[in-house]
Amino acid sequence: MQRFSGFIPRTDRGNAWPALSLAIITLASLLLASSVGAVPISWQDWLAPLHASHTGNSYVLWELRLPRTLLALLAGGMLGVAGALAQGLFRNPLADPGLLGVNSGAACAAALTIVFADSLPWAWPAGLRPWLLPLTAFGGALLVCLTLDRVARWVTPGSIAGLLLTGIALNAIAVAVLGLCTYLSTDEQLRSLSFWTLGSLAGASWIIAGIALTMLLMTYWQVRRLANAMNALALGEAAAAHVGIEVAALRTRTILMVALLVGAAVAWCGMISFVSLIAPHLVRTLHGADQRRVLPLSIFFGGLLLLVADTLARTLASPAEIPVGIFTALLGGPFFLMLLNQSRERIG
Amino acid sequence: MNAPLNLINQPLLVMEAASLRLGRRHFGPYTLSLHAGERVAVLGPSGAGKSTLLKLAARELHHSAGHISLLGRDIRHYSLREMSRRRAVLAQTTHVAFGMQTELVVSLGRAALEMDPHLTTIVHSAMQLAHAAHLAGRNMDQLSGGEQARIHLARIFAQLWDIEHGLVMMDEPLAALDPGLQGELLDSMQSYAEARGHALLAILHDINQALHGFDRLLLVSDGQLKNQVNADLHALPALQSLYGIQLGSLVTPEGQAVVYHQKTPARPSRASYPSHLNS
Repeated sequence: MQRFSGFIPRTDRGNAWPALSLAIITLASLLLASSVGAVPISWQDWLAPLHASHTGNSYVLWELRLPRTLLALLAGGMLGVAGALAQGLFRNPLADPGLLGVNSGAACAAALTIVFADSLPWAWPAGLRPWLLPLTAFGGALLVCLTLDRVARWVTPGSIAGLLLTGIALNAIAVAVLGLCTYLSTDEQLRSLSFWTLGSLAGASWIIAGIALTMLLMTYWQVRRLANAMNALALGEAAAAHVGIEVAALRTRTILMVALLVGAAVAWCGMISFVSLIAPHLVRTLHGADQRRVLPLSIFFGGLLLLVADTLARTLASPAEIPVGIFTALLGGPFFLMLLNQSRERIG
Repeated sequence: MNAPLNLINQPLLVMEAASLRLGRRHFGPYTLSLHAGERVAVLGPSGAGKSTLLKLAARELHHSAGHISLLGRDIRHYSLREMSRRRAVLAQTTHVAFGMQTELVVSLGRAALEMDPHLTTIVHSAMQLAHAAHLAGRNMDQLSGGEQARIHLARIFAQLWDIEHGLVMMDEPLAALDPGLQGELLDSMQSYAEARGHALLAILHDINQALHGFDRLLLVSDGQLKNQVNADLHALPALQSLYGIQLGSLVTPEGQAVVYHQKTPARPSRASYPSHLNS
């Protein structure tokens, strides 16, 4: 904690407005996003829990829409901060977990679980079942992260092109495995697979939102402690070690966090790409490259981004619903090309 | 301010037959000792193992045989944080990702400190000393190579600002700078080190800089520490055999000795160029 505050003073210290305005914006967009949709919501529906009178509309609001908007904020925040961490770790704004194949790794592992978990010779204990998907997704994400770390350090050291090429290979493998799972799946499994490879927040519940909130709070606490060391890492690994940062420990911790965040987000919401690329970039453009701001603010920006995307996906073709993953990809693809154009001198 | 007496008598850095194998190349054994306040330049042809010597002493590379100690303690027993409070390293080039602000980069020299109440003042003074005060508030990716070098020099200054008898290692610290600034920064580097009793260990390419600003020369070639000589004109024969060139010396009207490269007819390809192309 002291490390976070004992450091060079930030210009907005003592000024509560940025934090306060962020909180207000977040709350307002949460309320706004919950009010719009196929089913109209009146102000009485907001008060329904007080009267214990559940009409159809208040049920939609309290049991479907609120958990969903909340999960959009939380999952977006998880993806945003995971992106900021990965970019800091690999020292490049293009090092997005999605592009590098971390999301695909998690998706692969989860798809294999959906299709094959029941055909295994042993029975899963009932208590483990709800955790099976997040756990395997975490495992898949971790495997990819470790591979990438190896590539970044040994195979093509210091080159973002090498990392992105590795990402292409990993993503190709993931597409193949997902295809195989689709091919082998039963009808029911196929529905849950396709709903989920395109990315959707429709599976939200209060329990999932609660777990996500806990994870995000713990991440926030960790990230505040790591921010200084992440700043030093921008100097390169050797220089970071020279100024006294235990780089190996920092790497391990960052990789674990990225894998956990991406694994959980993929397990609950499917493949949602580009939030982790765009959110940290927006923060850096608006507030500079200081990781003490980039890391925490990426949570908010990622959350708002996914909330807006999901609300649009829900309402644009209402009552039909566009999968939110398609929406973020449509938004993020051009954005990535723009970033590529900005940093073309530094690639290679 | 009152350093224990044994710190002054004890050598700061001791390398005893430290060696390292990197792929097919063998470096060392290097044997040397460095005292607080000493200024030592490392000279040698390109690829001779100068940077490896520096990296071994900085514990960026781990020696496979021999012994290296800092203030009488094996450097393998230091934590990275403890090392960072004893020695600072200025690498040949450092690329800062994400275009950070200059003050932030300078303050990163002290990133491992838990509590740092005087940070702002130290960062300011360090930037002033490195002739970088006017770069405050700028982003690293908008700066020229020379300006970035000044910021990194300020970062090194900040790292050991409030320490006595530290060790500052630099790998060609002045390569990216114009001659006027080179002189000024060499002066600040030396007044900085002198005020704190820091030892300087710097890889240099300019023989004159090494002779004027430093006390001792370490001559490295073929991965070996070939010779250690005092930094005066008596070092000329050793330098000639180190680089395989003829050196001459002049004394300027101000009384300063200057070493220059004597072009001998033995290298006709160079000598046949018109002199204005021979830059």
